[in-house]
Amino acid sequence: MQSKLSDIELIDQTLAGDQSAYADLVKRHQRFVFTLALRFAKNREDAEEITQDCFVKAYRSLALFQRQSKFSTWLYSIVYTTAMSSLRKKRVATSSIDDEDNAIQIEDNTASFDVNNAENKSRSYYLNQAIGQLLPDDAAIITLFYKGEQSLEEIAQALGIEANTVKVKLFRARQRLKERLERNLKHEAKELI
Amino acid sequence: MSSIEEKLWDYIDGSCTPAEQETISLLIEQDEIYRAKYLELLTLDSEFAAIELDEPPMALTYNVMEAIRAEHAQKPLKATINLGIIKGISLFFVFTIVVLLIVSLASIHWSAGSAGSLLANFKLPDLAKYLSGPVIKGFLFFDMILGLFLFDAYLRKRSISKQS
Repeated sequence: MQSKLSDIELIDQTLAGDQSAYADLVKRHQRFVFTLALRFAKNREDAEEITQDCFVKAYRSLALFQRQSKFSTWLYSIVYTTAMSSLRKKRVATSSIDDEDNAIQIEDNTASFDVNNAENKSRSYYLNQAIGQLLPDDAAIITLFYKGEQSLEEIAQALGIEANTVKVKLFRARQRLKERLERNLKHEAKELI
Repeated sequence: MSSIEEKLWDYIDGSCTPAEQETISLLIEQDEIYRAKYLELLTLDSEFAAIELDEPPMALTYNVMEAIRAEHAQKPLKATINLGIIKGISLFFVFTIVVLLIVSLASIHWSAGSAGSLLANFKLPDLAKYLSGPVIKGFLFFDMILGLFLFDAYLRKRSISKQS
């Protein structure tokens, strides 16, 4: 069962030496952090490594968290930098957040699903598939906006860019996601015919 | 100039000014193209919001806490020494030195003689008297022990760095 204490209360307890309070913080945020890491890593093993690395880094720097932003915003900035440096280390072909015209990615992380299972082939299945095909930055910005409960300003803070730039990037990411989704659905319709 | 979609997304996100919001809502009411696009984007928005988060491995929290515990255990002793204690000890020594200095300066009789007479009365100690055979041998023996100790410490450090 997860703690009902706020993030700040859990941080205070952690700083006072209570490690179980930090375990509660990890439990609270792990699902989102893991999803965000998966947007960059595109496979579960690397995403798990990034997630673990992030939480250890966050623990080390917890005393430096200035509490001017939400803990989640601060944590997502760590996820972003950790994921980017991990990608660089692993020399996985990825593009910069400013790169708009790169070819569409990579490994389909929904490949583990049973594609012949008709139940899986709902619109949400295609949506997840389309997100998996987006560039990591596009997928991350959409995940942060829709699932991270982050405002444009908070996303800007987490990614270290201007709020207006986030707005433009979010618009473009949505466009690409829409196009991908339509393409996947069209492809599926053709296959059925 | 922003496209219809861009304006509509701003409207949906609530990131436009009240004046823009009013204009767009009027356009949605009156313009068929705007209304169709708005409904399309609204559907997409609710679909994007319904994206499910991925489930992390069951042992993730345990692994994180284990990594943190391991990091704590590996911390060298010098990193865990309280800096306050070190500062306290240094402060004690500085204070003692300052007090001793003040006491010795206060106990000097400055009027006892001039600088010239002090220098004239000053005699260098006869060092040859102290440098007898056993003293030199003892000094050399101490040097040799110290040298061996430092050499041993150097070799140990080298083998540790090679292992790591």
